[in-house]
Amino acid sequence: MAVSAFGIVSSADNTIHVEGLHDYRPIGAFSFLGRFRVIDFPISNMSNSGINRIQVYVRSRPRSIAEHVGSGRHYNINSKRGKIQLLFSENSSSRSIYNNDINAYYENLDIIQRMHQEYVIIAPSYMVYKQDYKQLLDAHIASGADVTLLYHKVDNAREYFKNCHTISVNRQKGVSSIDKNLGTANNKNILMDTYCMKRDTFVELVKDASWMSSMYTLADIVNIMCKQMDVRAYQHKGYFATLTSLEDYYNASMELINYDIASDLFRAEWPIYTRTTDSCPTQYFETSKVTDSFVSNGCLIEGTIDRSIIGRSVVIKKGAVIKNSIIMAYAVIEEGVHIENAIVDKWAHIIHAKNIKGEPGAPQYIKRNDTL
Amino acid sequence: MAQNEMLAMILAGGRGSRLKDLTTKVAKPAVFYGGKYRIIDFPLSNCANSGIDVVGVLTQYESVLLNSYVAQDGRWGLDSKDSGVYVLTPREKADEGLDVYRGTADAISQNIDFIDTYDPEYLLILSGDHIYKMNYAKMLDYHKEMNADATIAVRPVPLKEASRFGIMNTDGKGRIVEFEEKPAKPKSNLASMGIYIFTWKTLRKLLVEDMKNPNSNHDFGKDIIPRMLNDNKGLFAYEFKGYWKDVGTIDSLWEANMDLLDPKNTLDLNDSSWLIYTEDVSTLPQYIGKDAKVKNAYITQGVRVEGQVTNSVLFTGASVDKGAKVTDSVLMPGVVVEEGAVVTRALVAENVRIGKKAKIGSKDSENIELVAKNVKGGTK
Repeated sequence: MAVSAFGIVSSADNTIHVEGLHDYRPIGAFSFLGRFRVIDFPISNMSNSGINRIQVYVRSRPRSIAEHVGSGRHYNINSKRGKIQLLFSENSSSRSIYNNDINAYYENLDIIQRMHQEYVIIAPSYMVYKQDYKQLLDAHIASGADVTLLYHKVDNAREYFKNCHTISVNRQKGVSSIDKNLGTANNKNILMDTYCMKRDTFVELVKDASWMSSMYTLADIVNIMCKQMDVRAYQHKGYFATLTSLEDYYNASMELINYDIASDLFRAEWPIYTRTTDSCPTQYFETSKVTDSFVSNGCLIEGTIDRSIIGRSVVIKKGAVIKNSIIMAYAVIEEGVHIENAIVDKWAHIIHAKNIKGEPGAPQYIKRNDTL
Repeated sequence: MAQNEMLAMILAGGRGSRLKDLTTKVAKPAVFYGGKYRIIDFPLSNCANSGIDVVGVLTQYESVLLNSYVAQDGRWGLDSKDSGVYVLTPREKADEGLDVYRGTADAISQNIDFIDTYDPEYLLILSGDHIYKMNYAKMLDYHKEMNADATIAVRPVPLKEASRFGIMNTDGKGRIVEFEEKPAKPKSNLASMGIYIFTWKTLRKLLVEDMKNPNSNHDFGKDIIPRMLNDNKGLFAYEFKGYWKDVGTIDSLWEANMDLLDPKNTLDLNDSSWLIYTEDVSTLPQYIGKDAKVKNAYITQGVRVEGQVTNSVLFTGASVDKGAKVTDSVLMPGVVVEEGAVVTRALVAENVRIGKKAKIGSKDSENIELVAKNVKGGTK
């Protein structure tokens, strides 16, 4: 059943830069758990929640997102009553201070105002979680609040969630402030950059923000307005990951190499859709030795793999050893190469570098298309 | 290829009764193969990759699943404008009433009106139950080059096995001079693959005549081809050398799956220039567990292996629990092999559950064991 909200999938702020990976694509297009891309999560959440009008904002390097999202058919969005739109902020370059979320919304305000739905759900393309937005919307409407935010309680905010915001919540789940996570305490409420409000409220906030400062983001304006507006918080439970640094991306991926955690995120009744590449099954040869790993289709495996994530159509030759690593699609790891604690980007070809090793908390990154 | 220059018709009405319980509720073309496919994905993908836009699928036996499966033509990219997969089941007609398809030729005859709406120059006739990759556009080039009335794809088989097939005897230049169905003393080793290209105008005339002939079996092999040879029409053999398999029995279906494990197998489903398309499913990638041992295996997404898998093909969502051993076997979608169970030389049908410590099949068995029902746990 369609709900009375449309969806906005937002792009990461221009202050966020993920080493290596981000040079080639926006975070939404990062490969995740082998066969997915990060943006599959917010779009599938919306599709599964009955939201069939979705706007995806792309701040930079649109090719991979445009290619992956395409018409949106694979997200099970009704081909007549639903639509996915890709929207770009065209008036400023990707690294410009002006290129933030509010600017993108302001540039496309006429399109936002033409949406028929009364409410809007805004969700980030750089975080991974599962959430029924229908429940969030119902809670929002029932509370009578102006804005409802999704948040996650964490106990490791000193070390992680560095590029995120935290929120202060009073007993009535009212939000009193939104601040940058400065790593001052472990127990924090992390803002999941997910908002629910009336479309008209959203339009007013965008206008107010851009009038006050060209650099204000949606989080900034909601922080300012929470003194005079009724801003509430809605708690999310379950797997939650932010992919706003290479370490966070690596840790979030490694955490999922646990079948119980992974299968809780991927339930049959809440499918995570992605674009199929029609690759054939993976072939394991006589010499292969694979343990504790997620492997995508189309791979040819002769070597050893332990606690790793292997993307589509990867080739692991005889005697190669992959440990605690993420190997992205179409990479080829030749004979005798030893890789540990590393992220190997798409189409990389490792031949001569026989020993690639990162630190457990600081993975080594190998560039896309690189030959080593 | 020009729009609708050649229309394809896939004969998918057969049961394939030697596949036993696998085909009690579905027709043979819908049987699973190769970890993630159904057999009919092969002719359909071949059509799509060969640039054919319109495909009719003739179904009859237990067609409910097959009809809904092939109707989703977007799966094979056959959903652009003027393109499509059309399910053609026997239907009631104003002047004749309802009649089943009496033979392969009759199935085409009863759909002459459908074919006429596209006014094709050539008609490609395929079987829905063969596994192979073939570019039909090249076969059409040959058909035109030879100025043929019919072109029949053939493949060389060992001469001592030739008496099991329909054999084409040619004049050395590719022209077919004689067709013998299962000859006791074969003169040639070129076996018909059941793939025909006809010049439609010629075939149409013959079909109309054949429908009225009370003595006809309405079959391409038995009636239409002999008749054409008799009429001195131009029939040519088109030799195909790639992988081709008709999986008629449980043993041959198992064997065709095992072929995929051979590093030298010529079907090569990994070739990105000729992909085989199928139903898209939303699952996790395959997970290979902490204590798992996987060797010589062909495994697809959604599979979970915690036990031991050797020389086997595992389909979508299959699960091999801790301490379980699967050897020389095929596990179809959703099969669960519970803790400590041992499965050897078996083909386990969709969604079957093998209970804890159960023992299925044996390594010395003459035939492959088909497991179509849940198996209770063993005692030891």
